Amino acid sequence: MSTAIATKPILDVRDLTKSFVLHNIDGRTVTGLHNVSFKVEPGQHLALAGTSGAGKSTLLRAIYRTYAPSSGEVWFRLSDDSVVNLAQISDPEIVALRGRQIGYVSQFLRAQPRRSVLDLVIRAGVSRGMNVADARELGILSLHRLNIGEQLWDVHTSVLSGGEKQRVNIAAGLISPPRLLLLDEPVSALDPENRESAIQLISELTQQGVAVLAVFHDLDAIARLATQIVVMQKGRIINNGPVDQILPLLHPGDVQP
Amino acid sequence: MSKIVVPESVLKVSGLGKIYGPITDGAIERTGSHVGTARDPQTGSIVAAWDVNFEVAAGEALGIVGESGSGKSTVLRCIAGDIDSSIGDVRLSTFENGESNLLSLDAATRRKMRIDQVSVVYQDPAEGLALGVTAGGNIADPLTAAGWRNFEGIRARARDLLQRTEVPLDRMDDIVRSFSGGMRQRVQIARALANNPRLVLLDEPTTGLDASVAAGVLDLIRGLLEEFELAAIVVSHDFSVIEMLTERCIVMHHGRVVENALTDQLLEDPHHPYSQKLVSAARA
Repeated sequence: MSTAIATKPILDVRDLTKSFVLHNIDGRTVTGLHNVSFKVEPGQHLALAGTSGAGKSTLLRAIYRTYAPSSGEVWFRLSDDSVVNLAQISDPEIVALRGRQIGYVSQFLRAQPRRSVLDLVIRAGVSRGMNVADARELGILSLHRLNIGEQLWDVHTSVLSGGEKQRVNIAAGLISPPRLLLLDEPVSALDPENRESAIQLISELTQQGVAVLAVFHDLDAIARLATQIVVMQKGRIINNGPVDQILPLLHPGDVQP
Repeated sequence: MSKIVVPESVLKVSGLGKIYGPITDGAIERTGSHVGTARDPQTGSIVAAWDVNFEVAAGEALGIVGESGSGKSTVLRCIAGDIDSSIGDVRLSTFENGESNLLSLDAATRRKMRIDQVSVVYQDPAEGLALGVTAGGNIADPLTAAGWRNFEGIRARARDLLQRTEVPLDRMDDIVRSFSGGMRQRVQIARALANNPRLVLLDEPTTGLDASVAAGVLDLIRGLLEEFELAAIVVSHDFSVIEMLTERCIVMHHGRVVENALTDQLLEDPHHPYSQKLVSAARA
């Protein structure tokens, strides 16, 4: 007999719309998201599928407030179980949540040029409440798993290759993971072997109860990681369901970048 | 109610304004971003800044962006007390518990407050340093102003600050005029930190430096802001500087604040027509 446990969503997006008014191009309005609604619960990995221009990255950015939502609500559950509307809270409040409770791992590493690899990962852990010793231990473990050898730990991130940067970015983004992780093509620059290690690490997030919202450009990653799939087209959600229902309907072309 | 813990503001600026020339009825309406000028066509008065409001927390850097003449340096200099404001309220939580408007202090109290709590790093090191004086002497100056009298103590403090700002110690007794641009800027930063300020105002701190030198200075600034939990304002027309140092910023145009945004949002999703023009020009 199965017992249904009502889980409270970590992210509850309602009617989110994002329009851009281009004042210097004859004042035209371009709408990137139309009334988007969905939820992500703890331990769910929701993959966004859709062709280029469908609005997947726009959605991630509107949740993270890199884009200011035009209308709609983005309810986020804090660690104390209260909820806040990310579309409405103040800029300093967003700054306080970023990195600590809401993580964003993009395909590019953005770090100070002179910060060392290990230092970057340790600081990410410390910013989420770990002590330095634990962050160091866990950081070293992740770097090993992502095949970033010891000879690179004290190197400045600016001199790393694209694939190395991406793996350091994942190590920093996933250490003591925040409650909500937004992943925007985090493994796009990795060779098959490193991609495998990264996917393994990302797959463990769901067991840790993290809510993941992700964009990948291949069906294989989605098949292995997602619990839910949301299909987008022209800024709208056209399908939303469990991975086993939605995946058979998708073609490789549906997730092209 | 939201339970998000936000660091408390160290600096609160409200209704700050600076007008050069007579203030007449309608001067505010006849100037600003919407009319495309800071100069009142009737009187010739310049409304260099008007209705500027923002807060900055400890450990936070706020950016002020805009083209030259937009009023960003005016705001910085009004807060520093380098120029008198026409109107406004500026409070530091670390000075008299934030109960005093810095703009209405008498000159002596203001000077003392500035020495103890506020430092400015200018674009031109000649403005923040005595070029004919040694690096050590330039740092000793604010220390003696704050009451340091022990020669060895002052030397030790200067050495420590120069070390932190990565100025070779064997140059400590050389006059600053013999230093490169990047090194002069490091000495200026060392001097700015001398009395453990709570607020640091950075006016185009890397403009005029070679790219690689500027990157080093920026990196130094960012590290120091974090380490000392300083509240900072960074004025720059260079978005890469703003992006590297700040999480939030305001955009000024013809003396007015036209946008107040998260820094990444300003760069990716600017709202005001002027901000859009500024960002797209920077991207070109």
